[in-house]
Amino acid sequence: MKFFDPHIHMVSRTTDDYQNMAAAGIRAVIEPAFWLGQPRTNVGSFVDYFSSLVGWERFRASQFGIAHYCAIGINSKEANNEGLAREVLEILPNFALKEGVVAIGEIGYDEITPAEEFIYQAQLKFAVEHDMVVMVHSPHRDKKNGVIRSIDVALEMGVPPHKLVIDHNNEETVQSVLDAGAWAAFTIYPNTKMGSERMTEIVRQYGPERIIVDSSADWGVSDPLSVPKTAHLMKERGIDPAAIELTCWGNALAAYAQSGQIDVEALMQDAVIDQSQSYSDNSVLRGQQPRVDEPVKN
Amino acid sequence: MTDQTIILLAQLLEPRLSDAALDFWQKSQREIAAGAEHSRFSALISMASRHAKRVPLTLSEPELAACKNAAPDWAPQHWNLLELLRVALICARNDLTEPSFTESFESLFVYADEGETCALYRALALLPAAERFVWRAGEGCRSNMVSVFSAMALDNPYPVKHFDATGWNQLVIKALFLELPLHRVIGLDERRSAELTRIALDLADERASAGRVISHDLWLCLESSHAERSRALAECLWPTADASSRSAIVLGLARAEQYTAVQQLAETESDIQVAHAIDAALGGQLNQTQFAHLVTDNSESEL
Repeated sequence: MKFFDPHIHMVSRTTDDYQNMAAAGIRAVIEPAFWLGQPRTNVGSFVDYFSSLVGWERFRASQFGIAHYCAIGINSKEANNEGLAREVLEILPNFALKEGVVAIGEIGYDEITPAEEFIYQAQLKFAVEHDMVVMVHSPHRDKKNGVIRSIDVALEMGVPPHKLVIDHNNEETVQSVLDAGAWAAFTIYPNTKMGSERMTEIVRQYGPERIIVDSSADWGVSDPLSVPKTAHLMKERGIDPAAIELTCWGNALAAYAQSGQIDVEALMQDAVIDQSQSYSDNSVLRGQQPRVDEPVKN
Repeated sequence: MTDQTIILLAQLLEPRLSDAALDFWQKSQREIAAGAEHSRFSALISMASRHAKRVPLTLSEPELAACKNAAPDWAPQHWNLLELLRVALICARNDLTEPSFTESFESLFVYADEGETCALYRALALLPAAERFVWRAGEGCRSNMVSVFSAMALDNPYPVKHFDATGWNQLVIKALFLELPLHRVIGLDERRSAELTRIALDLADERASAGRVISHDLWLCLESSHAERSRALAECLWPTADASSRSAIVLGLARAEQYTAVQQLAETESDIQVAHAIDAALGGQLNQTQFAHLVTDNSESEL
């Protein structure tokens, strides 16, 4: 079975992770722009970071048979540094319209401040003007209120609900998102957010329509294999295989392929790895023989 | 910042320093007070780590009382020696109210390591015209490093005085999320509100849906609004709550002015510890420090 992890921060992960992900059947990932665990101090840091998302990281993923797409945006935390965030808004179009950028994201609220509101709205406006999908990060604190507000503001700004993905949902927020007609994504974290078992129950209760499973794996305690692990648990617990396919592959593909940036047909083919390739003369290899092999079996 | 505060900082610091460290402090203090360049000031803040380590201060009762006297609610019992040295060096500047200091201080944050960052946030409680740094203080609360967040959120009189409602509620709820001892958030008693109560009760719902434990400290956030929700939460948790949790519930309900509910719970209570908590709550002992003895957080001494 093929899996799509539509939210994962691969810049923080190792090549072991890439190998394990490919072996577990992950065929494609989306890497939304976020923060570095600590705030950046100047716009140059953002330029290099965005550049790595559309450059080196995409190449690195390809070396393990994983298609890498990304979302570009200013995260909610750093939106609070108003001067810097405005500078980043200026350079955003240089990256947001690149090939393989499937959404504006992850954007939204953290503390629900006026500064976050300004940057969120500016980016929603950009997304509407360029007919882009929007990936929204929902806040940790005052989450329910934050989710409702994220949706209301996005719809007001003209984002059609079918191009709106609200992420990091839980039992308390899912109904509002589905009622609005948006996509409801769930982050499976070992200790916080949502576990595989709870996810299984949500799919049982709400069905698979517009529900998306992701890992949001990053530099914190998180699991890049969350999507396949959750799929296996759903299978064990008797969830309909068609529902598993939708929540762990099909829905994410349908949501983000609206960008026109995903070659769905190519994704359906098995990946071919050619590690003899390099990126700006830089290889992922450290003296090993390059692996040039058969397609990865999914 | 008064002269009294500077004298007190030196009095707390000097007996705890080695001879070499004392020499560093005295020379550096003179150099900074004489108007050292920013680059030199920045280097001295960094080099402080060569002379003082991150050891607990273990302040005496009279010392703590002197701190509270020097600056309202200033409670540095969880500072370490290196932090105290750095804050003293900052306070040694002769331009604390000037734009030159604002610029220099902000610049320190850009290049600070974790230990320096904590010390800089702790310094806020002592700086004059501290409203200049309200955005910076908010950045401290947005930090993912628990040590940095704690430096801003716990035992620090700055937030209650300077944060707007959004910033304040975020601080309190984030402290809850991180399972930090909420009774150490200075001013929580006075800055409870209908909005904070609602956010805390929403969090309780979220945790219940996720099958997770609701921490004792959540009860500290509640005031009299949303009374029905508070009572419903208490009734839901009470049958399976252990003695500490029941004490926390009782104290929380009493803080939310739900005295009848507390009396009803008291009728069925047989545990002596909880019965004491009920008597104390109904007797008006409701402030956040009452919570301290309910908390059994092993990590507390490290923060």
